[in-house]
Amino acid sequence: MHELSIAQSLLDIAVKNCKQNGYKRIESIKVKIGKASGIMPDALLFAFDAVKIGSIAEKASLNIEEIPVSGYCECCKKNFTVDEAFIISCPMCGNISIKIESGRELHIEEIDVF
Amino acid sequence: MKVKVVSHILEANDRIAEENRRLFDKFGVYVINLMSAPGAGKTSLIENTIKEISGKIKIGVIEGDIAGSDDAKRIKSLNIPVVQINTGGACHLDANMIREVIDGFPLKGLDLLIIENVGNLVCPAEFRVGENIKVMLLSITEGDDKPLKYPLMFQESSALVLNKIDLLPYTNVNIEKIKKNSQALNPKLKIFEVSCRTGEGLNKWIKWLQSLIK
Ligand SMILES: Nc1nc2c(ncn2[C@@H]2O[C@H](COP(=O)(O)OP(=O)(O)O)[C@@H](O)[C@H]2O)c(=O)[nH]1
Ligand SMILES: [Mg+2]
Ligand SMILES: [Zn+2]
Repeated sequence: MHELSIAQSLLDIAVKNCKQNGYKRIESIKVKIGKASGIMPDALLFAFDAVKIGSIAEKASLNIEEIPVSGYCECCKKNFTVDEAFIISCPMCGNISIKIESGRELHIEEIDVF
Repeated sequence: MKVKVVSHILEANDRIAEENRRLFDKFGVYVINLMSAPGAGKTSLIENTIKEISGKIKIGVIEGDIAGSDDAKRIKSLNIPVVQINTGGACHLDANMIREVIDGFPLKGLDLLIIENVGNLVCPAEFRVGENIKVMLLSITEGDDKPLKYPLMFQESSALVLNKIDLLPYTNVNIEKIKKNSQALNPKLKIFEVSCRTGEGLNKWIKWLQSLIK
């Protein structure tokens, strides 16, 4: 359940940025979570609801954009995107010489403050 | 009012990890973050490593557990500086927990610091603590499906120690499959097959370790 640490970290970043910009409340937080990041969106939402209590983000919603795993196959010379969280070979040709380009994201993108 | 933030969620942890790392570098201490499922043999590997090389290389140990200090006692009995961290429920060590204990830790004169992470195949992989490398331990009795079930840890590690090979005759585990899938996930992964019980294969691990520390 490291979603709890992740939720706390993203709350800290959001609160810091809100105050730095001179605002008092956070209405929503937008994050990008890669499918291969090891984070379960539902668990993160649950954890966020727990850590936000008593903070300036108490009423904030967390909007999670899930980023699929994508990459490039050296063999096919083509890009691919898959539904799975993890792949070890090209979904088109099966070759293992692939470069994973997305899916490990763990980013906070934007906060809505007032 | 929308404010763009665009930062990594774990940036605070990573920043502290970098500070820890600078401190380790200052003292010339090489740091290994050792991760595995509970019971795979982390403490056993540390004990064996200490017995093999503590004459030549000065080792220190940080033990991470949810509760208790049994592992730290095992290490202390070998006359090695050790400190126990109890995470109080957290399933992994983070950089801040390490920072809090290294202030009082005798880093001076150490060559190698081994940090035994909390037993867990998922969470520790995500949190840097200031280590030079991550090493993962998998006991062969855990099954050959683990690389594809827990890929993140295999991808983050520099070395994989396959432990308990003395138990191979009693299982149907396909060790070649473990090696093949681990290396497909991480082509740079170094793999060692060992038994902390019989000592088999430990010499290669020790040699590799020594080559890193120089
Ligand atoms: N048969 C066998 N048992 C082992 C081996 N290594 C460790 N064990 C046993 O596995 C159990 C857990 O080991 P421990 O080092 O405490 O695991 P940790 O939880 O990862 O620190 C202990 O009872 C060890 O004696 C091994 O190579 N072979
Ligand atoms: Mg242990
Ligand atoms: Zn291909």
